[in-house]
Amino acid sequence: MQIGFYFDQTRCTGCYTCVVACKDWHNVPAGPASWRRVKTIEEGKFPDVFVAWLATSCYHCANPACVAACPAGAITKRKEDGIVVVDQARCLGKDKCDLCLQSCPYGAPQFGAEKNAKMQMCNLCFDRLEEGKKPICVAGCPMRALDAGPIDELRAQYGDKTEAVAFDYSADLKPSVIFKPKRKRSLVGGRK
Amino acid sequence: MTTAEKTYYVGTDMNCGGACLLKVHVKDGVITRLETDDGDEPQLRNCLRCRAYRQRVYHPDRILHPLKRVGERGEGKFKRISWDEALDTVASQYKRVKETYGPAAMIYLTTGGDIGQVHNTRTAVRVFCLAGGCTLMWGVASNEGWMFACQATYGYPVGNDHRDLPNSKLVILWAMNPAVIIDGCGTAYHLALAHEKGTKFIVVDPRLTDTAAMVADQWIPIRPGTDSAAMIAMAYVMITEGIYDKAFIDKYTVGFDKFKEYVLGKEDGVPKTPKWAEAITGVPAKDLIQLAREYATIKPAALLPSKGPGRTAFGEQFHRAAFTLAAMTGNIGKSGGSAGSEITQRGEIPFAMGPAMKTGGNPVDAGSPMRKDALPTPISKGPGLVARLHNSEIWDAILKGKAGGYYSDYKMVYIANCNYLNQYPNVNKAVEAMKSLEFIAAQEQFMTPTAKFADIILPTCTFLERNDAVWGAGPHVAYQPKVIEPLGESRSHLSICDDLAARLGISGYNDKTDEQWLEQIMTPCVGDFEKFKETGVKKYYNPPSIPFKKEIADIENSPFPTPSGKIEIFSQQIADMNNPLIPPIPRYIETFESCNDPLARKYPIQMTSTHPKRRSHSQFDNIPWLREVDPQVIWLNGKDAKARGIKDGDLVRVFNDRGKVIIQAKVTERIMPGVADLPEGAWYDPDKKGVDHGGCANVLTIDRRSPGGAFTSNSCLVQVEKA
Repeated sequence: MQIGFYFDQTRCTGCYTCVVACKDWHNVPAGPASWRRVKTIEEGKFPDVFVAWLATSCYHCANPACVAACPAGAITKRKEDGIVVVDQARCLGKDKCDLCLQSCPYGAPQFGAEKNAKMQMCNLCFDRLEEGKKPICVAGCPMRALDAGPIDELRAQYGDKTEAVAFDYSADLKPSVIFKPKRKRSLVGGRK
Repeated sequence: MTTAEKTYYVGTDMNCGGACLLKVHVKDGVITRLETDDGDEPQLRNCLRCRAYRQRVYHPDRILHPLKRVGERGEGKFKRISWDEALDTVASQYKRVKETYGPAAMIYLTTGGDIGQVHNTRTAVRVFCLAGGCTLMWGVASNEGWMFACQATYGYPVGNDHRDLPNSKLVILWAMNPAVIIDGCGTAYHLALAHEKGTKFIVVDPRLTDTAAMVADQWIPIRPGTDSAAMIAMAYVMITEGIYDKAFIDKYTVGFDKFKEYVLGKEDGVPKTPKWAEAITGVPAKDLIQLAREYATIKPAALLPSKGPGRTAFGEQFHRAAFTLAAMTGNIGKSGGSAGSEITQRGEIPFAMGPAMKTGGNPVDAGSPMRKDALPTPISKGPGLVARLHNSEIWDAILKGKAGGYYSDYKMVYIANCNYLNQYPNVNKAVEAMKSLEFIAAQEQFMTPTAKFADIILPTCTFLERNDAVWGAGPHVAYQPKVIEPLGESRSHLSICDDLAARLGISGYNDKTDEQWLEQIMTPCVGDFEKFKETGVKKYYNPPSIPFKKEIADIENSPFPTPSGKIEIFSQQIADMNNPLIPPIPRYIETFESCNDPLARKYPIQMTSTHPKRRSHSQFDNIPWLREVDPQVIWLNGKDAKARGIKDGDLVRVFNDRGKVIIQAKVTERIMPGVADLPEGAWYDPDKKGVDHGGCANVLTIDRRSPGGAFTSNSCLVQVEKA
C-alpha cells in the first residue's frame, strides 16, 4: 500500500495555512526548515498575467532517491504504507552530508538553522493517519484543495493526472501525488 | 505529576470577524498544538493567522506585568510596577484631567481588537461613562463610507451570504479579495464552489489579487479612486441601450430620473460615456461596455464590491453607485443577485442574544449637538454627535483642540483593543500628538508602536486565557473557554475594568463574573448553555439570507427604512446637507491625490494599502511563523520599477510630504503601472531620523476624512526610489 497526496491547484490561493498548520503540529520553528512549502508562479506581462501556486511537501516516492542517496541508512520507506521517514539519530547532519537534498528534485529534505542540523521532512502525519485522521495540512486547508490517502483510492476519486504548473513528474522516482492542474488562460478581455 | 492532554473548541476573536474554530490541545496548563474545526460541515476552518496563535500566546514579547514608562515617549523603556500602582495612577490621572479640563479632555481610543461578547471594547467605555464621561470616536476605518451609503440608499447596511454564491450566473468581485480578508469564514471556498458550478467571475481591481488569480475569468485593472466613474459609465451603457430593469426601478426606487440626467449629461453637459470613463479609470471603453451588458443581461448576477474603493476621498459615491447598478439590473432581493454590497458569511442567527453590558450613557455625548452632515441612523445617534471625533482627525484634534475648532481640548487618552498610532492615517502627526498629551494609558498584550508611547501599560490576556463567546460574520456562535491561566500578571478586560471602576468610586459597575455574563447573553441564543459550553460551537443551518428579500417581496407592507420607503438613488436627506461634495445622487468626484492632482508631478505613484494575508490589520505582525511566509513588501509594476532602476527584492524608499518608509520591493505584473500597494498593519519602526523601516503604510496616508465619513487611505500619492 502507498499513501500519497492529492492537490487541486485550481483551488489553491497561496494562503500558506497548510505550511503554518504543519509547523505548529510538528513543532518546527520559524526558519529554513519547512516540511510543507508553497511556490508562487507568476508569468506574463501586465495585464495578461497568469498566477498559480504549487503547495508541496515530500511526495513519498515509490522509488525514493533520498533513500538510495543516504550513506547512513537514515532514510527508510515504510513497508506498510510507503511513507518515507528519517531516523535523525542516524543522520550525519547537514554540515557533513546533504546527499538526500541533492538527490531530491522536489526539495523535500529540510534542515533547521542549528549547527549540523539533522534532516527532517513531511512524514504524512502518520501519527494522525493511525488515528483515522487526515494529515494536518489536509484537515486544515480552507479551500479543501488537499487530500491524502491510499494513492489507488485517490486516483479512483480524483483521476490520475500527474502534471501541474511548476511540477515535473519523475517517471523514475514515481512521486505519490496526483493533481487537478491549473490551466493557463488569459484573463484579458473576458474570454472564458 | 503530568495530566492527560485535553482538547477544547474555541471560537477565534480577532479583528477580521471570521470567528473561525480552533481546536486547542492543552497539557499541564500549556497549549501544545492546534487543529481546526473537524466537526460537521460547514467546517469553520481557520486561516494561517490563527493557526499560528500558539506563537502569539507564548511570544517572548508578551507584556506580562503592569509597566510604567521610564524613557521618552516612543522609546520603549519601561519599568515593572504593581497592578495597584498602575490602576491608582490611571484613576487619579483621569480624575485630575476631568476636574481640570472637563471629561471631554479624556479620549477613549478603541476598535475591534477583541470582539468577544464580554471582553470587548465596551468594558472600558462603561467605566468612563459612569465616571463622568469621555470623548468617543466615530468613523469606522473599515467601512464608514459604505455605512453612509447604506444608510442613505437602503436605510440599513446589508451583506451577501456567501452560501448563496453558487446561485449566481455572474459574479463581479469589485476589489473584493476574500482569499485574504476573512470577513466571514469560508467565503473564498464558496467562490471556488460557485466557479466549479459554472458561475462566471469578473474581477475589477488594480491588482490581480490571490482571489482573482484563483477564480477570475476576466481581470479588469482600474486606477484607484476612479471606481465610481466606471460604474456611472456602466449605467450610461445600460440607459442608452435600454437594457436596465425599468420595472424594478419604477417600483422600488426614487430619484432615478435625476441620476439619469446626470449620467446622460443633461445636467452638466458631460455625457458619462465609456470613453469619458476610460480617460479617468484607465479601463478600455470596450471592456466597460461589455461589463455593463453582461451585468445587465446575465441573470441573476451578483455585484460584490469590497469596502476598499470606499476608503478613498468621496468613497461614499463608490458604494452609492454600486447600489444604483444593483437596482438598475434588478438583482436586489433575489437569490443569486446582490444589493451591490459586501460578500461575507452572512446569515442571521435565529435568536437574539441576551442583554450584554451597557455603557451607561456618556455624559459628554449627552451634552453634544448633532453634526449637520450626519444621516440619522437607527442604531445609535453617536456617529452624528459634534462631540465625537472622527478617527482620521484624531491627531489634528489632539494637537489643536478648541483653537482648531474641535469640541474640546484633549489631554489624556485611554487605549484598548487597538494599535491606534499604527492604524490611523499620518503616523508622524500621531507621534507629535501622542508626545503632546499629559497622560496615556494602554491596555495591551504586546509592546506595539502605540504601547511604546503609553505612560502606563495594563497587560491584557489573550482570548485563550479567559471565558467568552464570539459571534462573527456568520450564522454560528462559538464558545471561548479559558484553556490556560492568564500568562504572568496579565488580566482580562473585565477584570481590569472592575478594579479601575472601583478606584474611580463607581458603584454598580459590574455584578457578574464573565461566566454569568455569558450565561445571560448566550442562553436565549443557544438554548442550552451547558451544552453549548461542551460542544463549543452552535451552527445554524438556516437557508442563505438574501438581503432585502422581505422588502422586494412586499414593498407596500415592508418598506425600506428610508424617508421614501424605497431605495433612494436620490436622497433628500443628503440634498438637505447642501454640500456639493456629498451629492444627493451618486456622482464621480475626482479624489484629492488622484493621478491628475498637481501633486502627482512630485509624487507620481498612487499607493493603496490593502489587507495582507498574514495579519488581521496590525494583529499578528510580530509572529515568526507568519512573517516568514509573507514578508512585508511594496508591490510595484515592472515598468515603474525599471524606470527607477529597482529590481525585485531591492530596498526602496517610499515617501511623500507626510513621511518616509524604507521597505523591500516586490516587482510584479500583478499590479497596474502607476500604482503601488503597501499592505496596511505592519508595525511602525522608526530610525533616529523618523524614517520607518517596518513598512507601516499609515506613515504615508492622509488624515483627512471624506465628507460622508469615509477614510481616504487609498487616496495617497507617493514617490518610490531605490534606497
